[in-house]
Amino acid sequence: MDTLIEVKHLMKIYNPGENEVRALNDVSLTIMRGEFVAIIGQSGSGKSTFMNMLGCLDVPTSGSYYLNGKDVSGLLDDELSDIRNKEIGFIFQGFNLIPNLTALENVELPLIYRNVPAAKRHELSVASLKKVGLENRMDHKPSEMSGGQQQRVAIARALAAAPPVILADEPTGNLDSASSKEIMQILRDLYNEGRTVILITHDNKIAASAKRVIRIVDGKIVSDTSYGDNESIEAIAKKIEEEGDKEQGYV
Amino acid sequence: MSQFYEYLKMAVSNIKANKVRSFLTMLGIIIGISSVILIISLGNGAKNVVTDEMSGIAAGQIALYTYDDTGTYYITNDDIDAIVEQVDGIKAVNVYNYFDGKLTTRKGEFAVSGSGQMSSFPYFSNSTILKGRYFSENEYKAGMPVCVIGEEDAIRLFGSTDVIGMSLEVVPSWGNSITFDIVGVEKKPDDSMFSYTYENSPVNIYFPLTVFSQIYGWEMDDYYQIYLLAEEDADTTAVTSQVVSLLEKRHQCFGESIYQYESFNDYMSIVNTVIGMVTMLISLVAAISLVVGGIGVMNIMLVSVTERTREIGIRKALGAKTRSIMLQFLSESAIITMIGGLIGILLGIGGAYLVAKIVAMVQPTMKFTPAVDIFTILFTTLFSSAIGLFFGIYPARKAAKLSPIEALRRN
Ligand SMILES: Nc1ncnc2c1ncn2[C@@H]1O[C@H](COP(=O)(O)OP(=O)(O)OP(=O)(O)O)[C@@H](O)[C@H]1O
Ligand SMILES: [Mg+2]
Repeated sequence: MDTLIEVKHLMKIYNPGENEVRALNDVSLTIMRGEFVAIIGQSGSGKSTFMNMLGCLDVPTSGSYYLNGKDVSGLLDDELSDIRNKEIGFIFQGFNLIPNLTALENVELPLIYRNVPAAKRHELSVASLKKVGLENRMDHKPSEMSGGQQQRVAIARALAAAPPVILADEPTGNLDSASSKEIMQILRDLYNEGRTVILITHDNKIAASAKRVIRIVDGKIVSDTSYGDNESIEAIAKKIEEEGDKEQGYV
Repeated sequence: MSQFYEYLKMAVSNIKANKVRSFLTMLGIIIGISSVILIISLGNGAKNVVTDEMSGIAAGQIALYTYDDTGTYYITNDDIDAIVEQVDGIKAVNVYNYFDGKLTTRKGEFAVSGSGQMSSFPYFSNSTILKGRYFSENEYKAGMPVCVIGEEDAIRLFGSTDVIGMSLEVVPSWGNSITFDIVGVEKKPDDSMFSYTYENSPVNIYFPLTVFSQIYGWEMDDYYQIYLLAEEDADTTAVTSQVVSLLEKRHQCFGESIYQYESFNDYMSIVNTVIGMVTMLISLVAAISLVVGGIGVMNIMLVSVTERTREIGIRKALGAKTRSIMLQFLSESAIITMIGGLIGILLGIGGAYLVAKIVAMVQPTMKFTPAVDIFTILFTTLFSSAIGLFFGIYPARKAAKLSPIEALRRN
């Protein structure tokens, strides 16, 4: 396995000066290709900030970030757009589908910005929607679909361009437990196919789908634990719980 | 380039998704463009009417008249001969005199407008001969009662234009009756607001001016108004002032402004200038409304950018560059103004023809077609697209500059 993400001494300081917030405080981390990583932490711990850095939606105040072998910490707006388009598939808590586009058109978006010709684009998008089981909802608008279906469209969109990294920020945050299970099953399937999945969540049970769990407290990594492929989700969930309690005890 | 097509598609689907709003946005452009087209078409149409009429009857024609309270000055036949002989650049001189009367044929009784002319009449007529001939110099000198009538009048009087050699016994409302021999029939002139027939309109007959001596019983030799026709390449003003000084010399009234003149060419250019200025002025007002329409487009696009901040954030997160967003929004405002412009052009042309129709109903003698020229249409189309682009730039830039996290955070 080779290195996909390498972050060193990453800092993100909001409002530098009087009441500055160190949302990320000297974070260093390496993620290999094909890993399923969960980043967990309490509200306000800096998870989303970290996700924005990893997703090239924002630039760090200092530190370096190598993504797929490229230094992306000092890039300009349009260069970052390019990286996001080619390297990252986003899954957001709020789905972030465009309301007046159909499921298919939403899935096609990243391919449009990658200049994929129309026929090829259509083919890839349809395949992607099939993968999440929505082949019979392709011409539906988001408003005509359930939350779980919308999130599946978002996953199809993240998959369509086959990016090296799938980045999911609280993907089940707006879903009921049944839909959550469906979504997590899809993410596990992706991992089993050999894709790299980074999952951000505050929910230990959700995080238990991952094989490596990184805990952030106040912008710092406080633990980084890997689990074996044969450990069950329940077992992992229990371990995460215990570790969290231990952490709590130190504070 | 294929990218650009995608942006157009996005823009169109967005316009479709907001039909009512898009239409309201277009309204300003539609009103602006249609009024520009309407006014320019009508203005040019009116100009054409005036130009046609003037060139039909009177291009190069100058009216010269005496202006004096005492009644001592006039223009004589000798003066006219002198003008024709001595002034270079004069093609012909004519004097008109009219009488009213009536005549009776098999077809009934008709009012008559008799018009005495000099033998230069063909030069001043706005028509040409259809059958027979005009009266000759000799017939004029001899005071022969011969006449020319119009095609339509011939049909009214006799039911045919084969009327050469027939005679017309005319009873003037004052003076002696006289019998004219018809020697010529004139073609019906193109539709003209200066010569038209209506039911019971008098029959026009044109005959040698000298015939008036038989009607009135005395020679006519003192005219207060004569008409000059300059050669086509002559400088009418120079020629006319030569005529004036000749007359002043012959009548010993230098510099008293007894003899004055009006050139129809001057009239024409004044009328054209006035129409042109009015057209310009109203077009300016219309153009201002176009700019207001453009600001309307900008306004709505700004609202749209604010409303679609999240969409923009999503697009940027998925890899849209500044340029992509910019082009998408620019396409949208350009398409809105272009569709508005097209509707405006159609409405403007339609409106101009409608106005022409109404004018034709109110004033049937004025055959008036609006002049819609391709130049105006091209110009207004370009102008409206330019407005769309110009007023689209600011909102589009604003949209494109949004940072993706900022945009995604807003809900
Ligand atoms: N744009 C910003 N300006 C100032 N401070 C910010 C900004 N964004 C985040 N922060 C602060 O940085 C810290 C980390 O925020 P972040 O959103 O990363 O937390 P989180 O772990 O995602 O929390 P949650 O689980 O509630 O989503 C918080 O203290 C937050 O107040
Ligand atoms: Mg968060």
